[in-house]
Amino acid sequence: MNAIAGAIQLIGGLALAPLLPGSIQALKARLQGRRGPSPLQPYRELRRLWGKSSVDPQPTTLIYRLAPCLVAAAMALSLFLVPIAGLSPNWPLGNDAIVLVGLFALARFALAASSWDTGSGFGLMGSSRDLTLSVFAEALLVLALILAVLPVGSTDLIAMSSAANGSAVWSQPAHWCAAAAFGLVVLFETGRQPIDNPDTHLELTMIHEGPLLEYAGRDLALLQWSAAARHWIILVLAAELYLPHWGGFGARLACLVGGIALLCVTLAFTETAQAKMRILRAPALLGGGCLLALVGLISWLVS
Amino acid sequence: MSILESIVLLGAALLVVGMAFPVISRNLAVALSLQAAGVALIGSSGALVLFGAQAIGAEFRNSLDPALGIDGLTGFFLATLALAAVPALIFSRDYLADANRSRPLVALCGLFLISLIGVVVARDPSLFLASWELMTLVPATATLVRRNDATVRHAVYVYLAVTHLGGVGVWICVLALAHYGAIGDPAALAAHGTAPQAFIIAMAIVGFGTKAGLMPLHSWLPRAHPVAPSHISALMSGVMIKVALYGLIRALFEWAAPPPMWVGFVILGLGLISSLGGVLYALMQRDLKRLLAFSSIENVGIVALGLGASILFSSQGDTTWAAIAFVAALLHIVNHAVFKTLLFLVAGAFERAVGSLDLDQIGGLLRRMPWTGGAFLVGSMAIAGLPPLNGFASEWLTLQALIHMAIGPSLGLGVAGAIAAAGLAATAALAVFCFVKLVGLVLLGPARRAEVERAVEAPTAMKGAVMFLAGCCVALGAVPGLLISSLMQLAPQPQSLAAEPGLAIPATGSLPSPWLLFGVLALTALFWRLRGSRRSAPVPSWASGQRIEPSLSWRSAGFTKPLRLTLEAVFRPQREIVALREHGQLQSLRYRNEIPHLFDTLLYRPVQRGALRGALIARRLQSGSVRAYAAYLLALLLALLVLTRIGAIG
Repeated sequence: MNAIAGAIQLIGGLALAPLLPGSIQALKARLQGRRGPSPLQPYRELRRLWGKSSVDPQPTTLIYRLAPCLVAAAMALSLFLVPIAGLSPNWPLGNDAIVLVGLFALARFALAASSWDTGSGFGLMGSSRDLTLSVFAEALLVLALILAVLPVGSTDLIAMSSAANGSAVWSQPAHWCAAAAFGLVVLFETGRQPIDNPDTHLELTMIHEGPLLEYAGRDLALLQWSAAARHWIILVLAAELYLPHWGGFGARLACLVGGIALLCVTLAFTETAQAKMRILRAPALLGGGCLLALVGLISWLVS
Repeated sequence: MSILESIVLLGAALLVVGMAFPVISRNLAVALSLQAAGVALIGSSGALVLFGAQAIGAEFRNSLDPALGIDGLTGFFLATLALAAVPALIFSRDYLADANRSRPLVALCGLFLISLIGVVVARDPSLFLASWELMTLVPATATLVRRNDATVRHAVYVYLAVTHLGGVGVWICVLALAHYGAIGDPAALAAHGTAPQAFIIAMAIVGFGTKAGLMPLHSWLPRAHPVAPSHISALMSGVMIKVALYGLIRALFEWAAPPPMWVGFVILGLGLISSLGGVLYALMQRDLKRLLAFSSIENVGIVALGLGASILFSSQGDTTWAAIAFVAALLHIVNHAVFKTLLFLVAGAFERAVGSLDLDQIGGLLRRMPWTGGAFLVGSMAIAGLPPLNGFASEWLTLQALIHMAIGPSLGLGVAGAIAAAGLAATAALAVFCFVKLVGLVLLGPARRAEVERAVEAPTAMKGAVMFLAGCCVALGAVPGLLISSLMQLAPQPQSLAAEPGLAIPATGSLPSPWLLFGVLALTALFWRLRGSRRSAPVPSWASGQRIEPSLSWRSAGFTKPLRLTLEAVFRPQREIVALREHGQLQSLRYRNEIPHLFDTLLYRPVQRGALRGALIARRLQSGSVRAYAAYLLALLLALLVLTRIGAIG
């Protein structure tokens, strides 16, 4: 079982991840009455970019060229940490939730440093917004994780995922609050409306796309894969910890697939139904999530 | 006399000779090497005691006859001190080579180190307080020896005033402890009930907290650190505020132990304010050293979060997590000593190379100073708490402690723990924001000034010292577990933990840091290989077809603007735009933008005004006439007699 889970961790993260943003885009286009690109479009993009030569903005240092590799490495390491259907082989990396938070911060640092290296306003605008929102999102993420730690008392993701197994946790208001709070984390980390708009390259609105503007060729391919892997990690985490699942490995695997599909559909719907909010309003949204998580915690502690 | 004692004495002798050497000779390299050798010997003996050798010297005593000794906690602080001070001394060999008045600076540096060591090895109140005072005064002198224009004099004045007002707390705390016979014997204080204990703890928090730079007692720190010479600022930030934390730990966890629960909440609250406030103000600074000073406040706050959590766990009887939280604080102390010393030293190297440390006027130093610049990058990533470096290990441990406090079962502790954990997470994110800004403005992008274009790499000793510290950042990040099992023995209720290179803590997913380091390096190398070295065409950065002129490039204020707008209610920025028009044409624009330090405007200034007003009133009594003073004496005498008569005193 562990070996299967390990294989899905890696194959899923490496190969299936681009399918998630692709299918969200395809579904969104359908909802908006367009034909839209096929769900496989991100793979075509990656293949095209992999074959292209790159450009080298002047004056940049090694940091600029190293950043995509470091971002991709942080995401690839995160793949090992997140269990699949509550299982993970004994990788020597452990399965700690907070290490995951640290690796995401490492990727954010590398990307922001790369935009300072080019000195281009677009990249810096995007990363300064990303970093501003990350202050609130990281606090929210930790609070949501605390709520998932409550039933088991450990930050080990395998234990946390097993604690969310079955229907007992759903009788706790804390779990509902946790699911709602983590929903906001999903919106931020995947760069979706109403916080960010993945379809735009307007400097007024973009956050996550900004630092990618200067990159081309394989560097851009690595960054786009990293963005897809970030979708994969966050959605798997959401399905493992905060969405219902029951039974043994097989049943939980089915629940995981269902959960990810449900999240993709939900994201496509919110993207269609929601307008993007002003960037300066987003911290209030994330802060509201923090309050919700605290209410959940209090409800658990008094019961 | 044991071998260890002789090593310590030899180290002390070398240090004293090194301090006195500049008096007789111009050869500063010898003086600094002697000092470095002395500190290294003392520090390594401290490390030996920490790792299990027999404690040496005297026990703590309440009488005033001087005594010295090294136990585990002292050993830990001596080792930390050496880890920061030896590179700083080696660095200053080249840093002070062409500085004016370098001879007194070297001597004062030695004296500063002696006073720092004196505080941690003192085993009686008199030596402790004497070293404490010396530790406050010497850096002030060194700062004034280097420069004494009006700004520096004012900064030093504020430093001395605030630390002496706070220092009153230390004196009262230590003397009261000696009065109750509690130094080295907590049972003595417990016999006198809770009131003396509460008083002593409050004094300890004020006294040691001021010196450690805990908000809102931090006012001196961002003023004093930037004006001192870099190796002294490195020692002040890297070591001196840690020595203040040593005093706090001794007072709270040993002499006045066990602290009641409210102390835990107070320390946790101060830690939260300091960590968030420190990093928020650090983010808004334009001067490199001032930014680093505010970031020290942040890191002291993180240490305080660990200490507060430890007290709260102890009060709940959870000895395991009390020990883990305590160890997290100690680990962050040594980590901060390493990377903050590194950053201050590199700041000195940059100042020497480019003149000014205005962040908006540097840029592109990584290309011109690759070694020191690379060390600066490593230090910045470590202080930002990024895996796999050392800052992440201790912040991870602190956050784990807070999370385990949050999950209950007590409601008060749970909510406090959750808020503190969320605050620490936000602090970590803000630190990433702050240090990526710093790295970007200083190391990356185009040079923003002509002097920066001409900067050259620092000389060997400076380069070597900072690279050693960068290596320590990586090593302490890779194998923090080797330190943990010894540190666990220093906790109030020592716990045992299997020695492993990584952090294998029960009820966590564990932090296998060596593998994390290996994973990051190996995967980055793998992707680097996959990426290949294809031909890439050089192009200018895209700015909608314009060229990026240096005057149009992004600065600190622009990068932090979204956060400033979001937290406008907290920062209360002031901006002023004056447009000068003549004949309907815009002639010139003047723009000023300032983030006032709210603690100064809302807290210190009213206190200062009140004190001055009080002084004015009190001055009316000071007529200068001898007869009036004689009358005051008579009045006092009469009042005392009356009070004795009615039995109020005596």
